[in-house]
Amino acid sequence: MTRIKRTRAINLESMRKAAGRNFVMRPVALGIVAALMGCSSKEEVKVVASVDDCVDSTELNREQCEAAYQQALREAERTGPKYDARHQCEVEFGSCRQSGSFWLPLMTGFMVGQMLDRDRHYYYNPVYRYSNPYSSHYDRLMTADGSVVGRSGKASYTVPSSATKPKPTVTKTVSRGGFGSVASAKSSWGGGRSGGWGG
Amino acid sequence: MYGEPYWDESAYYQFSLKQIEQDLEAPTEEIHQMCLDVVNRVVADDELMRRFRIPECHWNLVRDSWQNGDPSLYSRFDFAYAGQGPAKLYENNADTPTSLFETGFWQWLWLEDNVDRGALPRQADQFNSLQEKLVNRFRDLQFLTPDRALHFACCKDTEEDRGTVQYLQDCAREAGISEHFVFMEDIGVDAEGRFADLKDQVITWMFKLYPWEFMFREAYGEYLEDSNVRWLEPPWKSILSNKALLPTLWKLHPGHPNLLPAFFEDELSKAGDVGALVKKPIFSREGANISIVQSGVQSGNEQQSELLSDGPYGEEGFVYQALHPLPKFGANYTLVGSWLIDDEAAGISIREDSGLITQDSSRYLPHIIL
Repeated sequence: MTRIKRTRAINLESMRKAAGRNFVMRPVALGIVAALMGCSSKEEVKVVASVDDCVDSTELNREQCEAAYQQALREAERTGPKYDARHQCEVEFGSCRQSGSFWLPLMTGFMVGQMLDRDRHYYYNPVYRYSNPYSSHYDRLMTADGSVVGRSGKASYTVPSSATKPKPTVTKTVSRGGFGSVASAKSSWGGGRSGGWGG
Repeated sequence: MYGEPYWDESAYYQFSLKQIEQDLEAPTEEIHQMCLDVVNRVVADDELMRRFRIPECHWNLVRDSWQNGDPSLYSRFDFAYAGQGPAKLYENNADTPTSLFETGFWQWLWLEDNVDRGALPRQADQFNSLQEKLVNRFRDLQFLTPDRALHFACCKDTEEDRGTVQYLQDCAREAGISEHFVFMEDIGVDAEGRFADLKDQVITWMFKLYPWEFMFREAYGEYLEDSNVRWLEPPWKSILSNKALLPTLWKLHPGHPNLLPAFFEDELSKAGDVGALVKKPIFSREGANISIVQSGVQSGNEQQSELLSDGPYGEEGFVYQALHPLPKFGANYTLVGSWLIDDEAAGISIREDSGLITQDSSRYLPHIIL
């Protein structure tokens, strides 16, 4: 057949999450998914504690490292976890600073890696050391959204490529629950629904 | 109906390449263009915006999203198609189509598996480029929406919707998009009226498997206008997921082979000798609140209508579409879903039901091209 009307190949491994969900139907092909688990997209990054550390441990020069540090500071302000009270922040991250009405953890360092795109961009996400001794994440480095990079003090880290992307801005939410009321009113009709709000 | 199997491994549908390309693929892309033309007309006309029951406070949101060219991800047309003659459009699921995962992933694996074990011939194909096109479309969308993370959302306690959204998250990640998830009910707003997830991360780009017509009418609807969120599907899709589309298409393309005659409630006199009509709520999902009336019957004359399905919809009014029963194969009625990724036809999904109205309890069946 010359014209193929279907997807040529599916990266089964990357679809494993959806496949693992409790779907109503159970096709015969489930076994294939388990058999073909491969490796997902990962990248090696350095976590540096200062501009000097950056110059010593990466291929960036001093000017680039200074710019990287400034960018990471701006990202920390924008995307870092924000707390109402100093003690809430310090319980989780040890050292914190005030910014406006919030408390933010101090950046432990920043991640330097290279985008695998044509232009070879560098990225510089801030990294924090989680220091709540009662948590299984104690002494782990994490990005602003709470993704664990690894135990602190290593020369380099292998992270999923998502860790290298810019994080969303973090704010203080003043209310929740303003969506969903129509769905909930309609689902109380009759015997409810087995499915959802799609069609 | 509930409790019966949704996935059916025992059977499949077989098409010829000609049936797929001439009767489904080509009309799908043509009707989609006709639909985009309807959006163009509706946003330009206050009277039509009212006809489509778009709340006036959200007209700017809908109009701006169209005029800015906000990109779309996907749609699904539902067709009655008997294997010959023109497929007839039942409706356009333009805002929150589901059964995507079954189509793009499981149906594809089903074919691979059956070919590999020799149950189907090696040359068996399938009209199903859904997954490939989805991932490619997400790549385009990231290019069109730079520097934003994509939040996905659906309602709580809807296993099917959560599965659909998880599949889309997987496709987005495959395309290199940074993705997050939040339930619709958990979305919050900050002091500046920006939407936020449970981690207090500001939402700037969101896929929601949740109808626009609900969001327009809910408490946070007031923040939509100024929230600076890029939406998937974009707000202009509220014009296409709306059954007012059906009479509007018929007015613009009377006699089109893939359209069924359709009328607004106050224009029923134009129905003439069309015969039996199906009365559909302007907003409804999954075949709820459908009834049949004879043309010539004035609206409100409910005694002469036969109720086909119950449901929670109808308060925003109804449209009427000529009755064209689904084809019956064996003991079952068959509905063909024809998918679009952006503007391109991307595959079909088949659902069958033992009743005439296909609801969310129908069985999903795979298909082959041979």
